[in-house]
Amino acid sequence: MPDPSFLLLQSLNGLTYAMFLFLIASGLSLIFGILGILNFAHGSLYMLGAYFTHQFVSLFIDAPGQFWWAVIFASLTVAALGAAIERFFLRHLYAREELYQLLFTYALVLILADFAKVIWGTGQFSVSRPALLKGAVLILDQYFPTYNLVIIFLGPCIAFTFWFALLRTRWGRKIRAAALDREMLSSLGINVNRLFTVVFFIGAWMAGLGGALVSPVSAIVPGMDVEVIINAFIVVVIGGLGSFWGTFLGSLIVGQVYALGILVFPRLSLAFIYVLMALVLIIRPWGLLGRPLQR
Amino acid sequence: MIMKRFVQIASICSLVLIFAFSAYGAGEPIKVGFPAILSGGGALFGKPSSLGAEMYVKEFNAKGGVLGRPIELIIRDCGNTPEEATRVAREIILKEKVDFLVGGFTASQGIALSEVAKTEQVIYIAPVSKSTAMTDPGNLHPYVFRAAANTNTEGRSAAVFMAKNPWTKIATLGPDYEYGQMVTKAFVEWMKKIKPQAQIVHQSWPKLGETDYTPFIAPLLAAKPDAAFLSLWGGHFVTFSKQAKPYGFFEKVKVVAAGEGGSPETGMALKDDLPLGITTNAYDVFYYPDTPEHKSYVERLKAYTKQEYAPSWAITGYIAVQFLAEAMQKAQSTDKMKVIKALEGLTINTPIGKQTMRAKDHQATRGQVWGTTAKVPEYPFPILRPVEYIPADDLMD
Repeated sequence: MPDPSFLLLQSLNGLTYAMFLFLIASGLSLIFGILGILNFAHGSLYMLGAYFTHQFVSLFIDAPGQFWWAVIFASLTVAALGAAIERFFLRHLYAREELYQLLFTYALVLILADFAKVIWGTGQFSVSRPALLKGAVLILDQYFPTYNLVIIFLGPCIAFTFWFALLRTRWGRKIRAAALDREMLSSLGINVNRLFTVVFFIGAWMAGLGGALVSPVSAIVPGMDVEVIINAFIVVVIGGLGSFWGTFLGSLIVGQVYALGILVFPRLSLAFIYVLMALVLIIRPWGLLGRPLQR
Repeated sequence: MIMKRFVQIASICSLVLIFAFSAYGAGEPIKVGFPAILSGGGALFGKPSSLGAEMYVKEFNAKGGVLGRPIELIIRDCGNTPEEATRVAREIILKEKVDFLVGGFTASQGIALSEVAKTEQVIYIAPVSKSTAMTDPGNLHPYVFRAAANTNTEGRSAAVFMAKNPWTKIATLGPDYEYGQMVTKAFVEWMKKIKPQAQIVHQSWPKLGETDYTPFIAPLLAAKPDAAFLSLWGGHFVTFSKQAKPYGFFEKVKVVAAGEGGSPETGMALKDDLPLGITTNAYDVFYYPDTPEHKSYVERLKAYTKQEYAPSWAITGYIAVQFLAEAMQKAQSTDKMKVIKALEGLTINTPIGKQTMRAKDHQATRGQVWGTTAKVPEYPFPILRPVEYIPADDLMD
């Protein structure tokens, strides 16, 4: 059994991973919860967030706080792209069967992956940590990167703000009403189409932010889109699709199981997560905190 | 009747003549196919490897070639997949009627091209591909040769270096695929053989192309090893270094890294992010060895590639083609069987010293340059210092 200090360090690593997953999975869950669309391309938006950050960091090379400016611009660019996708493509598919929406978002995954390869090639990139957060903090005689500590706090703050805005404000109520009965709402004189675009904008923004914030701690490579979307799906399946706290719980569980699993069985750490997902699917198919679908 | 007979004789004669010209035509080039990675991420290494081959051929032809004939390299982009390498190699063989192939890059491309060589019966010399599976007893056939180091020599030379130091608790971390597993296995087995008191306290296997190594770092540190053997190559090593640094990884653990982390190209890419004081290897470094042959090679290569620092991967293509050219010279023939005979046991003088192609396993006695990363005043990026060539002769089965 390793020292408690190593257990804590590994647990913090798991928590950092969980917070990235949460940021991404909550955007996925949000779009599904309100629009009823399972967006496969969510991971691709995350990937673009990372690539754009790499691009913008080299653009703002001399500006103070260049990393944070890059994060803001990169995530907003991704959000705008998300809104454009909703406005020009997805909108025409709402009336169709769900299968068409799935096929469309899957096609987007392939298109955006090739798009990234054409622009940035197949090499690896990485972004330097912001100067202020380059160091490490000493926790129980182990070093832990300051940047990761900041992410552990920042991740849930961002996700919580978005969800709060959508669920507890007047605007948010309209959006939820639209999700329940869009015809009634539009007959009340509310522009439902615009509401949906805004939801997609926010969901894409969260994916973009996830990608932008992960760029200093992960390699930016082709294929990161598919990797993250699979993990985000596992999180929402475990936690419950469309549930905010479920997504939070799911990310925490996946992060800890992955990190502590490596300590026990290094070669099986990925398998643990899939086993966990399979168990949840058998016992509670709608997820730990989700509600059974009523159709 | 007479007319018909005349046509028959004439056509037979002309056929014989055409045949004679194409086979023995004076000065006609000897074609050598060279599939190389010239696009995508691998081009960073694939391009210099083919440039080295080109430079050798140019110099060789200027000296008169072999049998009065020049060598002509047919270089084609073969991407980074074994499928593409196979397709490109077959196309060259079919269209250009080559009897000789040099090239391919990844371990799996080497295995794929060896298959092509076997079925098409052309000689294939691998300049880079390292997997021992290619020349293992079950897979070895007369047409395949390897000028590169292999996973055995690489893993074992790391063990030799590790054993020289007073480290007994060892951890390993390598990508979970052919190369990572083979080189780690070779390292661990050799370590146990030459330093039985050494203990392997931890082994981790992130998947190839892992983007986040942090969950693997704490468990490795928790095992409290004195030293760690890494086999992450190219960009994977860059990613790992950046992520491990804030954990104080390189202060807590001595690192020996296979996978050419000591190539000057890596130092130029990482600059201050390259951890100092770690031991790692390279195919060739422009600042070592200080022999006249190597110095002259570096100067020629700098001029040929028009680069400020001679690229390290060029040596791979250079030596592979040199083996082929000198074998033809020794055989005084381009007949495949005679060239194979000449290659077996052939010793050549390369810019990095003598190399022998062993007859028993068609494997060159290729060692590698090993050293410790350090900052020096002469260059704006870290280099290997001290640095030495660890020969392979004692490390091979």
